Amino acid sequence: MNVLLVEDEAKIASFVGLGLREQGFVVDHCANGQEGYDLALERDYDVVLLDIMMPGKDGLAILKGLRQAGRNVPVILLTARNELDDRITGLNLGADDYLAKPFYVEELVARIHAVVRRSEGERQNILAVGSLRLDRITREVTSNGQRVELTGREFNLLEYLMRSPGRVLTRTQILEHVWGYDFNPSTNVVDVAIQRLRKKLEPVAAAQWIESVRGVGYRFRSPEALQ
Amino acid sequence: MRRPSLRWRLALLSATLAGGVLVGFALLSGWLIYQAKLERLDAQLSNRLLPLSRPANEEDPISPETRLAQELGLASQTAVAIALIDREGQVRYRSPWWPETLSTQGRWSEWPGATEPFSPERDPWLRRPSLNEPTIGPTTWRTSEGRWRIIGRVTPLGRIMIAVSLQSLHQEMAILWRIYGLTIPGALAAIAGGAWWFSGRALRSVDTLSQTITQVTAQGLHQRVPTTGMDQEFETLVTVFNAMLERLERSFHQASRFSGDAAHELKTPLAILRGELEQAVQHAEAGSPMQQTLSHLLEEVSRLSSIVRKLLLLSLADAGQMSLRREPVDITALVQEQLEDVALLAPELTVTAALEPNLEVMGDRDLLIQVVQNLLSNAIKYNLSRGWIRVQGKQQQGQVGITVANAAKPLSLEEQAQLFERFYRGNPARTRVTDGLGLGLSLAREIARAHGGDVILVTSLPSEVQFCLTLPTGGKLAPT
Repeated sequence: MNVLLVEDEAKIASFVGLGLREQGFVVDHCANGQEGYDLALERDYDVVLLDIMMPGKDGLAILKGLRQAGRNVPVILLTARNELDDRITGLNLGADDYLAKPFYVEELVARIHAVVRRSEGERQNILAVGSLRLDRITREVTSNGQRVELTGREFNLLEYLMRSPGRVLTRTQILEHVWGYDFNPSTNVVDVAIQRLRKKLEPVAAAQWIESVRGVGYRFRSPEALQ
Repeated sequence: MRRPSLRWRLALLSATLAGGVLVGFALLSGWLIYQAKLERLDAQLSNRLLPLSRPANEEDPISPETRLAQELGLASQTAVAIALIDREGQVRYRSPWWPETLSTQGRWSEWPGATEPFSPERDPWLRRPSLNEPTIGPTTWRTSEGRWRIIGRVTPLGRIMIAVSLQSLHQEMAILWRIYGLTIPGALAAIAGGAWWFSGRALRSVDTLSQTITQVTAQGLHQRVPTTGMDQEFETLVTVFNAMLERLERSFHQASRFSGDAAHELKTPLAILRGELEQAVQHAEAGSPMQQTLSHLLEEVSRLSSIVRKLLLLSLADAGQMSLRREPVDITALVQEQLEDVALLAPELTVTAALEPNLEVMGDRDLLIQVVQNLLSNAIKYNLSRGWIRVQGKQQQGQVGITVANAAKPLSLEEQAQLFERFYRGNPARTRVTDGLGLGLSLAREIARAHGGDVILVTSLPSEVQFCLTLPTGGKLAPT
């Protein structure tokens, strides 16, 4: 998947680029707004990540230009400024999503998948790891035809884990993604929720796929990796 | 008691001042007029004394009283009384209507030469023919028949006295007082009314000014009061006020730009920190001490980010710039979803919920989630062990009210007052887990207020703490 990252802060660009490449994205980085805009018009990207505050041309101006030029490439805005205002302006200008700094790259990846999925007409509705199949539309989880009943939160939790098999997700990452950014980081809600999820996955013999990483968080491992 | 308005006081003050002056003037002028009239009467009387002092002409068909009354312009002859007493003290003539009390001996005997025999050596002035001055009076005597002006003269024959009733003079004065009594209150009312009207006109500029000040909120700092049509005295005030508004607007913009810049300055390094740590966690050996340390650091960065975010939101709320992305939000569903987490977080608490279905408001979903999360997490945090939480939701009078109550130790009045203060955490002795940031409740309230609602502490039983979130229903949006 091709991603254009327009971001003037070199360090942020560096770790975002690194994180995305690790997960199989092809990343073009551009530190100047005008160049970024030209690049976005020139090439076909699957998704464009725009920082709002930038020299040359700011993210909102690039977004506006792209939409006026009839380009419907999915755009995710990244910003550190007055987030409420920028969020509203950005979404009104036709941004597909919005991520406030500081954010987790893992979260960015989740958002990229979500907007790409939306723009491609929900082709990637099914997430399958081993025998476990998760349908994002019907919000059903099955294993070899056997249904697993999950609450809304448990479904979101499982989806987040299954999307990055093999990667360690810290408690705070999970907390922010599944519960929203403002939950108290030192609560044990993640651990309790994971225990319940495991219990519900036991009948389909998938409970052990959610692996605890001591003192850090959790990791979803597919049966192949476990063997 | 509240002081009456400036307008009232001005009207009252001018009426009092003018009233004092007018009444003083009336009293003085009345007295002067009375004195002048008396003097004229006295002069007329002393002129009449000389002819009277001659022996009475028996052929005169008109009684001397009638003549005198005619000459003095008095209507009735009974208003003039004459008495003639010879040197032996015998009354030689007395008008029938001579006031009885004037005849008492005590009164006349006070007069000079009243009873002594005539002696030209002792009284040389009596022979002077041009002498006009009376030797008795003029003086006013009070009798049961009213006041009389008495004037008299000692002649070689005896004493002759004219008494004129002052009744008609007093009647004239009464008319004057009546005129005063009618005109002065009228004049006072006119003056008070005029002062009321004029002060109202003068204060209109102040009204305009105060109206503008009322409209000046954080969003309306660009407003200025127009100086056209203002009185000269108020122009200075308006100019100063406008200058103040301008300074305020400038510094406000600086402050809000500063908070935006500061947030950016803080968030960028936080983003870098978080991103780098995230990478490092991925690359560290799973479960290794290094990875655990890194993940703890990541947790702290999250906490820091959350504080920065809340502070920024609070500063935006203070500036009146909390913008909302309004959409229909099903509050019932939102609360129920959050209640699922309560069951996860605090399974030992008894949770009861009574929510009317489909309570809908127009609001910012993300921010409203924060408010509900905050109220619920407080209810968990400040609960008793094995306590309870009760959540109610209902709609009444155009408002959706969500009440979150929990078992708690009684709150002192001081604690109640401090609950909404920033960085207030409650008495450490009473908190089960002291990891709150102390910003949540004040932020929750600001968010509710930006929606046109509020978060209030409901004083109920001492054994429970109850917060009520009110939000206007979908139909009635508060302007923001």
